[in-house]
This record gives sequence, structure tokens and C-alpha cells, in this order.
Amino acid sequence: MLFGRKQKNPIKIADKGVVDWKYTTCGYCSTGCSIEVGLDEKGEAVATRGVSGADVNRGKLCLKGIYEHELFKLEGRGETPLIRDKYYEAFEKTNWDTALDKVSDEIKRIQETYGRDSFAIVSTGQIMTEEFYTLGKLARGVIGTNNYDGNTTLCMSSAVSGYKRSFGSDGPPGCYEDFEHTECLLAVGSNLPEQHPIIFWRLKQALEKRKFPLIVVDPRVTMLAQMADIHLPVTPGTDLALLNSLAYVILDEGLEDKAYIEAHTNGFDDFYETVKQYDPVSASKICGIDEDTIRNVARTYAKAGAAMTIWTMGINQSTHGSDGVCAINNLNLVTGNIGKPGGTSLSITGQCNAMGTREWSSCSGLPGYRTLEKEEDRETIANFWGIDKEFFPKKRGLFQTDIFPAIETGQIKGLWIIATNPMTSMSNTDRIRKTLEKLDFLVVQDAYQDCESNQYANVYLPAGVWAEKEGCFTNTERRVNLIRSVIKPYADSKPDLWIFNQIAKRFEQGQKIKFPETSSGVFDELRTLSKGRMLDYSGMSHDKIEQQRGIQWPCTEGDEQGSARLYTDGKFQYPDGKAKLLALPFIDNNEVPDDEYPFWMNSGRVVEHFHTRTRTGKVGNINKFSPTPYMEMNPDSAKELGIRHGSYARLTSRRGDAVVMVQLTQRVAPNMVFIPFHFHDCVNRLTLGLLDPHSRQPAFKQCAVKIELAVDQHTAAERNKEARSF
Amino acid sequence: MFKVRDDEPDYVFLSDTKSPRKNQYGDDIELAKKGDGLTGKSLNINGDEGVSDYPDRYKQHGFYFNADNCISCHACESACSEKNDLPPYLAYRAVGYVEGGTYPSYTRLNISMACNHCDDPVCLKGCPTRAYTKFAEYGAVLQDPDICFGCGYCTWVCPYNAPQLDMEKGHVHKCNMCVDRLEVGLKPACASACLAGALDFGVTETTPENRDQLKTQIPGFPTPEITHPNIRFQQTKTLPKEMTRADSTDIKYQLNDKKDAFVPVINESRANKTKHWNLKKLLSSHENAHIAFTLSTQTVIGAFLIFLYSQYMGGSTLGAIAEQARYPILISSFILMSFGMLKLNLHLGRPQRFYRGFYNLRHSPVSREIAGVSLFFAGMSGFIFFGFFDNAFTHFMAGLSAITAILGAAVGTYYMYKLYRIPARPFWDHWQTATSFLGTTMSLGGLFVLVASMITLQTSQIAPVADKLLLIILAGVLLEGIGLLGHAHSMKHAQHEGALSHFEQKTKYGKSYLLRNALLLLSLTLAYLAYQFSMSYELLLTMISILTVVTIAFAIIGRALFYVLVIPTTMPGAFFWRNKGFEEHARETGLADMPQTGVLPDGH
Repeated sequence: MLFGRKQKNPIKIADKGVVDWKYTTCGYCSTGCSIEVGLDEKGEAVATRGVSGADVNRGKLCLKGIYEHELFKLEGRGETPLIRDKYYEAFEKTNWDTALDKVSDEIKRIQETYGRDSFAIVSTGQIMTEEFYTLGKLARGVIGTNNYDGNTTLCMSSAVSGYKRSFGSDGPPGCYEDFEHTECLLAVGSNLPEQHPIIFWRLKQALEKRKFPLIVVDPRVTMLAQMADIHLPVTPGTDLALLNSLAYVILDEGLEDKAYIEAHTNGFDDFYETVKQYDPVSASKICGIDEDTIRNVARTYAKAGAAMTIWTMGINQSTHGSDGVCAINNLNLVTGNIGKPGGTSLSITGQCNAMGTREWSSCSGLPGYRTLEKEEDRETIANFWGIDKEFFPKKRGLFQTDIFPAIETGQIKGLWIIATNPMTSMSNTDRIRKTLEKLDFLVVQDAYQDCESNQYANVYLPAGVWAEKEGCFTNTERRVNLIRSVIKPYADSKPDLWIFNQIAKRFEQGQKIKFPETSSGVFDELRTLSKGRMLDYSGMSHDKIEQQRGIQWPCTEGDEQGSARLYTDGKFQYPDGKAKLLALPFIDNNEVPDDEYPFWMNSGRVVEHFHTRTRTGKVGNINKFSPTPYMEMNPDSAKELGIRHGSYARLTSRRGDAVVMVQLTQRVAPNMVFIPFHFHDCVNRLTLGLLDPHSRQPAFKQCAVKIELAVDQHTAAERNKEARSF
Repeated sequence: MFKVRDDEPDYVFLSDTKSPRKNQYGDDIELAKKGDGLTGKSLNINGDEGVSDYPDRYKQHGFYFNADNCISCHACESACSEKNDLPPYLAYRAVGYVEGGTYPSYTRLNISMACNHCDDPVCLKGCPTRAYTKFAEYGAVLQDPDICFGCGYCTWVCPYNAPQLDMEKGHVHKCNMCVDRLEVGLKPACASACLAGALDFGVTETTPENRDQLKTQIPGFPTPEITHPNIRFQQTKTLPKEMTRADSTDIKYQLNDKKDAFVPVINESRANKTKHWNLKKLLSSHENAHIAFTLSTQTVIGAFLIFLYSQYMGGSTLGAIAEQARYPILISSFILMSFGMLKLNLHLGRPQRFYRGFYNLRHSPVSREIAGVSLFFAGMSGFIFFGFFDNAFTHFMAGLSAITAILGAAVGTYYMYKLYRIPARPFWDHWQTATSFLGTTMSLGGLFVLVASMITLQTSQIAPVADKLLLIILAGVLLEGIGLLGHAHSMKHAQHEGALSHFEQKTKYGKSYLLRNALLLLSLTLAYLAYQFSMSYELLLTMISILTVVTIAFAIIGRALFYVLVIPTTMPGAFFWRNKGFEEHARETGLADMPQTGVLPDGH
């Protein structure tokens, strides 16, 4: 005691009474943090903490992970299956058998009436790899629809497409450890502090040990942009011109790695011809970055012993997202920065298991990075599953973003949505609403029955969430990590794996194929199917993964550990082993602001929320940081429109309108606004979402809007509130 | 003991560093030496009797914040709230920010702040219940919710918004420095969770690895002079000359002429300049209890002192009051005072613990105020009681009670004023608080007696009595008016939050403010006219009736303005979290009805 009481009371500090910590992997983003859930005496999940010995997060967690134990008991969890004839009727509770019978009967009826492809499946990046593989087996091998895709089309499709086009296969070649080796880091449309805080921490750790230039391309002054040595506030949607120009300077000044280009790439001549059109003067007119800065950045990048590029949705969610990825790959190929420590093209992935779905879900083809287009792949999988290879289509079907228009025009009559919420996540909300109304049959499988897409479901299947189940996630750096089942699924909800298996049993062909009941049983199939391939899992097992806190593929049978990088030998997945330098002319098809719609509208993530807030919107201690949507707007532009800080504004685009609270900040340009994408009935009422020709990913981040003060602030506040059920 | 994992990462451990003997304020860093009776004791955390052998256990510890690095990822806040199992509506640690520049040359400065475990803990000194203790162990300032009665005075005096008044639970709680972690050699949960190399913890005045500065100030952080806070900063990057708050407080921080510090000034470009009434907001705040308490107490003190004067020294004119108006004045004083005290007591989070208000006479002006006012009330009650009897003993006792009441009135009034002289509340921290309280005591006290006299005295006795009382009233109103003029002048030219308070007085509450001023002038005029000119009884009656209404009205509006306008010198909030404007909006629109909004709905 210095001051205060002589007679001290005992100090009381909250003690949650954790008696047991269980190992698992975070279920939010794709950073892939190892996490332990603390259980109290009653077996309730009461705490979470980062696993110290895990290489990815080294004991740290972001705020979402810190509160992840609250997920299990959030409001809106589905308790039992629900059923109804028409979407505008009230749901009735039902049992699993009735619900599953209804689902399988409807699938059969629709397929028999309208053809196999008239029933579509839209999956996710949220469930476990073993579940993805099983769903793929069910969709491709049993139900046999070719209109089967995942919501990764909204986030990583351009990265997948770009990797495939450049390197002959999907698969991010780098890892977080590259931060420790790189001599220059270029971040294009990636805001680590907000989107991937733990990856930012790894970067920051590396920078504290050894300073290297950080160059950030972003139209907004994000925290990463603010910390950058060079910030390039690029004109929205023009990064391809900038990237081409960087390549121009490198080639023009002879800074390229000629030996690497010669030995490991094809297509240089065509590439060079196109790049020639993007001299810094011409490019500066397109992308808004001055020629000196372009030259400076290009030189800094090319002269670094090892340089790496990371990107996220700033590249992926644009009309030329796939080209943008290829342009980044071009940059790294001409400078010899692929497959070496600190030199890489690393797409920073979004969902916890977006990588797992790319690898194993068969959405874009067949499991294990196999394609429908290759007869050999069709044959391998058909034989392995024990079905006729002719059952498989010879070409991939529709992407998620094409499935919805196909519902609109009547080719698709039935839809199964799994752990994704297009009513909030897809552009042009009103159009999606009308689209879902047109379905003959919609089944929604989700942990949360209050997810907005469920408004149109005929059957709702309550799924277990995250660590109520067991299985693997693959993270951004190809690290396969394990989710142990920590507690039982809530109420009468069931693991997705169980649901898929039960539906398979209801089909004749499903009874012929083996559907392992346990997650580890499924994992054995992955090991077999991946043996000798790029994504080799054969050296892994669930226990070994837990022991090592995640293993990076490839990990071949007999290998003690995984592999940090791909293409270290410069051999790529194209038949001749060479990567492709691609000619990527920039065509400006963006909805550019004009007199009528004078503002660029940009959308993106905030650190406290995940996707459509079905989880984070209910965790008070994180939701409170942005409990309602807001718009960042430049105070100078707001002044002209009479819009005040903290008031409501109405935005209108060619699609619809939205009401949103205004936060005035110089973080955004006078002709641009930014709105977080997480909120229902908000920003996606405005977005155009023009599709990338290769990846079919929507350009969420670029469209034109007009803004006015919401004249009646009270009504605006009411409208905003009514749109928030959580 | 807190359980340390076998493979705990390096960054969570407290490090051994050499610290100087004194800190930058000249205070000792070592808080206890072996053998002085303070060392070697258990902190008794959750009943654990263990004693840490950490060598720096008796040195002042504190947070280190590298403002260049903070990214506002909320990991520190969440780690804190998770560890302390806090509800969404409050937090021990919060990240706010200020921003400046013009796109794209824009800078945002995030500030993560919890308790600074100050050398001079104003919370501890202010707390009437002695719920606070500054420990020799780590220099931690800990608050015990089991002692607290929820008056919230610590939340008024702390410049860092560290103590949190939990309206749901009815008491305050705050950062406990994670002493349970410290005892086993671990840094607090927040510092261990930082993802940007911004927040650190250790013996104060030591520079963490890879850091250079030990600044005591950054823009947005209140002057360290108030409490000698144990936080040190690094902030090397050049900032724009003006940094704006993102919350609803229209303050920006401007680089001063000497270019060595940022001072708070009004953000003119954002502030709303139109004049409003805002009467509803003005008269329905949480501080209504204080309006009722201060006004009624001051009225009764004034009235009772005048009564005593009239009884003992009133002579023939004023003596009539003591004789004829005795019971109306005394009984209604008793009732009014009881009402004021009850209002104040009921506004406590834990009214049943009211008796703890005297626990900190040594330091707390609140304790002394409560003691003074209670003494006065006891003296007045005794005086009334003994007045019912008529013998030597009761006369003596009545006299003793009167002296007690006078003493209590002096102490109570002085500390009632003193407790508002809070450096972190510049709108109050002005001599006008004294003139207002004293002015009210005179004007309302005088009016109280005057009205009672008008009712009870004979018409012929009234004029001379009224003459004397009107002089007191006139002096009181004049005193109030002079104070307000001085206050307005000071606030207008101030470089602190008081300037914005005054600006809001003229805008957000502009019409109410004008009304108050007009009523004050009217009151002054009426009192003067009634005092100066002899007039018929009927006219006097009319004038005094109007004067009464006018004076009470300006006193209530004035006092309400006093409470509602104060803008604390405190940490900037974020756009939603710790933003008063958003909290109000969430309550008004009903967003607050969803608990995950993090705002307690009305009714608390």
C-alpha cells in the first residue's frame, strides 16, 4: 500500500475456470492460426488462446480468434432441420430423416424433369477439407451436376485462375517465412493490418529485425499504406496498367533476370510486345501514378536480391483480376522471384479453407488439382470412386456467379447452398433476391438459421460449426492444419460430413461408392489421391499435423516435414515445365464515375468482422467496433453536399440505393468512398460486380455512385436499423 | 497462480532492464525497500497466498506505447476484455484515434489506452469510499468493486477514461494491470496480444528493445501534469499540424507555436454552428440528481443561515422571520434537503452503501463534502428538534446544533465547490463554480426565506424584511452573473476542452443558454427594482412571485448547462467505440437494444 487501504481486501480477478485446453485451428480467415479452446469443468467453451509453438501465429491471435469460443452459442444457431413448401410460408421444425428425404427427393425430381445440371450446388470456403472432398464426391460422383461451385469465386477465383495461367496449376508458391528473406515487398490491394492481422504481425516482426522497402498499391490510405515506404494511390481498377508498366521499366532498363526467363518461361516475345505499350508516361495517364514513381518502384523491385508480391481482393475483385494476378506473376518471373526465399507471388487468401476447397472440393474439376478436361484425371477419379468415367462431364460447368443468372433465366431450378450467404455477399442484392424467389427448391445448409439466404429456403439443414467438427483446413501458405472437435454440435445440428454422407445414402449410386464416416477415414483417401502430385499429402496424418501444428504440402510419404515453397527448382506444372509470360492488354471496362454518378465506390473488409457477420455480428465484444455500416468519405466532398460527420447519406448506383452512416476522413480520395462489405442490405445493393472473363469473379470494388444527404435523418436511421437483425 | 505454459513465447515475459532511480516527474521508481514492511507480502489474488520473487516487484511498472506502430487491430482491447470477462458495453482498454493531413498524405494516429497506474492517482484521491489502493507491488492502482458505491467520481477525475462506471452492475471497475500474470513473470494480456509492436509493458522509464524514445506526451493524450501517468511513448513520425478526432467531440489537436506539443482547439470546420434548444437533453441527463442535490442543498444552507441570523442577530425587523416563519422555513428546509440528499443517494450505483461516503476524508473532496453536508443536516435537524422544547438544556443544544450546522455548511459548501475543480474537466475547473454555488446559496436561500415570509408575516412586516432579503438575493444573482461573465471570457479564449464546452453552450444549447442569460438579467432587474423602489404590497407580491419563478428557472437551466456541457480532457474515441455521439444515437434509434452494439440502452 502506498495510498489507500491499510487493510487490503484480497484481489479478485476474473477466472474462467479452464480445466482443459483443446487444440484446433481458427475458423475465420486463411491465415491458419493454431488455437486452443479452453473448457471449464462443465465442458463449456469459455476461452481461447493462440498456440505458442505454432509457426504461423506463435501464440498470437487477432480479435476474432480471441473471442472464437463464443461462436458455439451465438444467437441464431440452427437447432433442428426446418421445412416448408413455399418460401413465403412459415418454417416448421422437422427431423433429419424427413428433411434429408425431402432434399434427395427434390434433387431427383428436378434432375429427372429438367436434366442433371438443373440442380446446382453452391458451396463455401468454410468447411473442412474432408467435407469438401466428400461433397465433391457427392456432387460429381453421385448427384452428377456440373453446376457446382464454391463462394471462392467471390474471393480467390482470380488468384486460382492467374496461378493456373502463369504456372500451369493453382497453388501459392510462397510462405510467411518469405518476409524474413525478402529485400522488397510489394503489396497490391492487400491491407494486412485489417484483413490478416496475424500475417501483418509476421511481416512486422521481419521488418523489426531487418528493414526492407515496403511498397503498397491501394487507392485508400490504409494502415499498411500509411506504414509503407512508398504508397501508390492508384486509380481504382487500373492496377494492370501499373503492373505492365513496372515490367516495361524493368525490361527497358535491362534489369530483368535473363537467365531465369530463358530457362523457365515461355511467351516472352508476345509479353514484351504488349508491355511495350505501357511506358510509364502512358501508364501514368491510366493509373494515376506518376512516371517517376513507377520507375522508382520498378527499379527498387528489380534490384532487390529477393522481392515478393502479396495481393488480396484489390486485385482479385476487379474486372481483370485474373490478368492482374498474371501480371504479378510476370513481374516475379522476369525478375526470377519465384520459388526462392523472399521471392514469390503470394496471394493472401480469405476464408479459413478456401485453399482446401480449391484443392479437394471438385468445384472447378476433380479432387487434387485434377481437371475434368483431362481424360486421365477423369479416369483416375472414376476408378478410385468406382464409377463410370463417362458419368463425369468433360468440361467444367458454371461458376457461382453464372449459376445465379442461370436460375434467373430458368435453366437451373434447384439449389443447395452450403455455408455461404449470397443474399448478403453477392452484388446487386435486389437481383439476387429475385433470383432466389424463382427457385423450385432451395436447401440451405448453415450453422446459422438467421443467415439471410435462408429467407428463401424450402429446407434448412442446421450444420455444426468450426470446432464442433473434426478435419483439416489449408491456409494461405499451403499449411494443412487440424481442427479437433472441441465440443458436440449445438442442439440437433450435425457435422457437414455427416449430412453429405446421409444424402449420398439416399441415391442409388451413392450406395455403391464408399463414403467414409470419419474425417480421418476421408483423409486417407486424400493421401492416396495426392501421392506423387504437387499437393502431396501422403506424408501427413491428423496426428502428425497436430504434432507439428500444421504441415505445408507437398509432404510426401516418408518426409518428416512439409515444404515451405513451390517451384524451387524452376519447374512448373505446364507439360514442358516452363511458366508462361502472358501478354495482358488493359481494357478499361470499369463503370467509371461520370457526371451522373460522380464517385468511385470501393468495398472491403474491416478487422472486427468476417464476411456476412453471421458470426462476428453477434459477438458483442468485437461487433461493437462497427455495429452498423458506415462509409468513409472525404470531408471536402462531403462539405459540398452538406453531409456531416456521423450523419446518414443515401447512395444511389445504377442498381439500387443504400443508406449508410458517414465517417468523414481524408483516408479516401475526394472522388471515392469506401463501405465495408459485411452488412446485409447495404453496399451490395449498389455494386455492379462485373465479371472477370477468366475467373468469373465479380469486380466488387469498382463501381460508380452518387451521394446525397439523407434528407430525413430519422427515417434513414430507421431504415438502417431495420436492416440489422444482428 | 496464473498458469504459465511450458512453451510460452519469449515476448510475453517481463524483461530485466535497468531503470533510473527517479522518473521524469522526479518521483521514485522503487516504491518499497526490503524491511519497510511493504515487501514480501502476498497480493492474495483470488485467495492465492503465493508471493512472487520477481526482482522488480516493487518498482513502478507501466505501459509503453509506440504510436508509430499501432494499427488499431483491437487485439489488445479484446485480449483485455476476454481475460477480464467484460460485457460488450465497457472496456478497460480502448483504442481511439486522431487523424490529419489531406489525401493521400494522410496520417492516422491510433492510441491504445488503459489505466496508467499514476504516481498521483487522482481516482484514488477522489474516491470517497477508499475503493482504490496504490500497491507497492508494481505500483499498480487497483480498485475494489466490492467497496465502491458507484458514485462515478473517479470517472470524472481520471483524464484517461480508465475507471469504468458499470451502470448494469452499479459499481466501477478498471484495469488491474493483470497483476496475476505479473506475479508469474508474464506481461499483461493486452501487451502480450499486440500485433504491431506498439504496446509493451515493463518497469517505467525503461526503453524496450528496438525503441528509442520515452516521451510522456503524444497528440490526443492529456497533459501528464495532472496525474503523472506511468505510460511512455514513442512517436517519431512527423505528424500533420492538425489532428482531428473521429468521435463526435469536435476537438482537433493543433501543434502549438513552440512546436513542442499539440493543444486541443475547436474543430470549427466540423462543428455545428446553429443555435438549438436541446431542452430535453438538457433536463434529462444522468446528472439530474446532481442538479437537484446542489440546488436544494445550497438553497437550504442559504435559507437556514439567514434564519439563524434572523433568530440570533435579526433585531426587530428580521427577527420577525424567526418568530413567525419558523416552522414553514425549517420544516420545508428539512423536506427539501432530504429530497436533495435522497436524489443524490439514489443516483449511486449501490445506494445501500451510502454510508461509505465518509471513508476517504483524508484525500477525497467528495468525502469531505458529504461529511460537511451531513454535519449541516444533522445540525439543522438538531436545531429543529431542540426548538420544540423550551428549557436551558434544549436552548444550549439548539445553539450547539446551530454552530454545528454553520460549520457543516462552511465545510460542505467549500468542498462541494472544490470537488468540481477537476483539472480533467476544464469547464468546471474555474472560479465561476464558486461564485455560482455561493450565488445560488444567497439568491435561492434568500428567496426561500422571502417566500416563506410573504406567506406567514403580516403585510406590514413584509416591506422591511423584503428589503434586507432582496439585497441578499440581488447580491447572489449579481455574483452568479459576474462569475458567468468571467467564465465565458476564460472559456472563449481557452486552449482546452472548455472552449468547446462554451462553443456548444452557444450553439447546441444556444437558445437555452440565451434564455438562461435573459432570465438572469430579468431576475437581476426585478430584484433591483423591488429593492430600490418602495411599492404597494400587491405589486411587491407580484414582483416577488415573478422573481421567484425566474430565479428558480435560471438556476435550474444554469445548473443543467453546467453539468451537460462539461467535456472532459480525455482520450479520443473511435468512430463507434467510445463515441458519445454514437452512443446517444444508438439509444435514440434502438440500435442499443441489441446487446452486441456495445451500448447499454436507456433506463440505466
